[in-house]
Amino acid sequence: MMGNLIAFREQLGDTRLAMPEPLSREAKDGIERLASFPTTRDEAWKYTRLARVAALQLSPLAHYQQPEPSECSETIDVIFEPHGWFCAAPVEGLIIESAGNLAPEDWQACTTCGHVQYLNTLAAQGGACLTIKAGYEIPKPIRIIHRAKGENFAMVLHHQINVEPHSKVQFELLYEGQGQEAYANILVDFFIAESAHVHVDKWQNTQGTHYGFYNERIYQERHSTFCLHTLTVNTHFTRNDVEVFSQGEAAHTKLYGVFLGGENHLIDNHTFVHHMAPNGSSDENYRGVMKGKAAGVFNGKVKVYQHAQKINAFQSNRNLLLSSAASINAKPELEIYADDVKCSHGSTTGQLDALALFYLQARGISKEKATEMLVGAFCAEVVESVQSKHIQRAFAAYFSS
Amino acid sequence: MLEIKSLCASINGTEILKGLNLSIKAGEVHAIMGPNGTGKSTLASVLAGKEDYEVTSGEISFDGKNLLELSVEDRAREGVFLAFQYPVEIPGVSNVNFLKTAMNEIREHRGLPALSAKEFLTLVKEKSALVELDASLASRAVNEGFSGGEKKRNEIFQMAMLEPKLAILDETDSGLDIDALRTVAQGVNTLKTGQNATLVITHYQRLLEYIVPDFVHVLFDGRIVKTGGKELALELEDKGYDWVKA
Repeated sequence: MMGNLIAFREQLGDTRLAMPEPLSREAKDGIERLASFPTTRDEAWKYTRLARVAALQLSPLAHYQQPEPSECSETIDVIFEPHGWFCAAPVEGLIIESAGNLAPEDWQACTTCGHVQYLNTLAAQGGACLTIKAGYEIPKPIRIIHRAKGENFAMVLHHQINVEPHSKVQFELLYEGQGQEAYANILVDFFIAESAHVHVDKWQNTQGTHYGFYNERIYQERHSTFCLHTLTVNTHFTRNDVEVFSQGEAAHTKLYGVFLGGENHLIDNHTFVHHMAPNGSSDENYRGVMKGKAAGVFNGKVKVYQHAQKINAFQSNRNLLLSSAASINAKPELEIYADDVKCSHGSTTGQLDALALFYLQARGISKEKATEMLVGAFCAEVVESVQSKHIQRAFAAYFSS
Repeated sequence: MLEIKSLCASINGTEILKGLNLSIKAGEVHAIMGPNGTGKSTLASVLAGKEDYEVTSGEISFDGKNLLELSVEDRAREGVFLAFQYPVEIPGVSNVNFLKTAMNEIREHRGLPALSAKEFLTLVKEKSALVELDASLASRAVNEGFSGGEKKRNEIFQMAMLEPKLAILDETDSGLDIDALRTVAQGVNTLKTGQNATLVITHYQRLLEYIVPDFVHVLFDGRIVKTGGKELALELEDKGYDWVKA
């Protein structure tokens, strides 16, 4: 009964990227081996049904052209639209090129797993390859903007971001646009070299029956830092997979998120941090708010490898349910093979504080406004550390609408 | 201003108020006294519209309107103010933002334009001085990390900002030292005009030395069993509540 993955893969078309042969083969074999979409019996998809995705009738988005520069004063923009993609005027220390120009040996990813990644490897239509040169601090945030519009389109992109040693950069990943029965599969690989610092703010606010699969893979070398904020509001179907390979000593990672769902939305956040070297840390803080019949998922996995001593791994997930039909599934997973580590996790799911609501109403504030204030306060801890003013404004605007 | 007739209210099926009558006119200060568990705080909660309480019979009219039909926020907008016995801590919501939102919703309800940022800040400065509330508290989260005294001052500060017609002070004296009590009482007295009224709920006479009531009512077993002038409070202090029960 479950959708045929092979037929689904065929309607996406073939990739226009020159992927390394072992990766392509791995992906091809993977699709054939799986043959159908995972079901809720599959641990990674336990709370997220894919039947509606499997049934999508799709055609690939039109060809992606070469990048053209565009001007923007506050940010450096890389924009993807159905008819082409554009990038900002040159900035010292930053190289932007089309992923289509990369030779197989330029792709750094050495492995791929899971049907989302297989599909991406086989069908990616394009992407950007960004390199931050060693020692540079990019003065303005780099925005990668995705805003396709239409029906039954499949947008499959693979970006590769190389952050060379001792450099510093801030990204904004924007997923907007409108899709009816549409599909997005966007993979971003970050290779963060020694002592490089990367901050990423990710904004997801797609309209319509848009099924989005977003995957960030982060490879961190020694003394590097990586901080990610994922803000997801009002999307019909979103699956985020963030996988961090903390492979150099004393690498530090922060993964924060806020996800707000309503109606019959599904927002699924999966994180997986591999602590592969000693003296590193990871800090996760995700806040979910579900109303209507929305379903939210937070699955946070932390694995501390045997030689990765003196790791601090902290994970917190708090959720609010604003209606009786809304739901949250929260699952922390810790796998620890080292003996000198500090790991903790906590998860709570509850309702709005009725006394606080009453207190605000007793001062003349409407129930809707009071709810908004309390939900805003609940999210504030995460939203306040978002660096992108644009995303903070977008979040505030969503909130007051 | 406020007419309560044969009010019966219960919580979780237990009847707390059993036919309470009370009439308050503009310009008056009323005190309700009584031992613990007789329904004093229930009365305050029912007036403010707390959902946990069910009004089983009786009427409450406020300025000619049926109060029981109004939502919690509409009661506040019409001019009912409850100073909480236990003010609620709301992390993440700043006192200033909270008050500004409240004031502007109330002003909108009354057909007044929203306050400008400058007008609002001028008011905050003026009114916080009234209860000697440290100005830095205004920018902190609502009641978060406030001492007991600061929380009560904050209640009266909010009252000063919102200018209610009927202020209900629910055990405002509890947890206050004598200096704080005097400051809070002074604030309340300053806000008194011929157009508003105050209902003070307390079980000690102490507060009434500073906020002098026109009427003192004794609440016992869900009813007002005795009403008198301010001297009744002293008599109660002297003779204890057993005297009215008898």
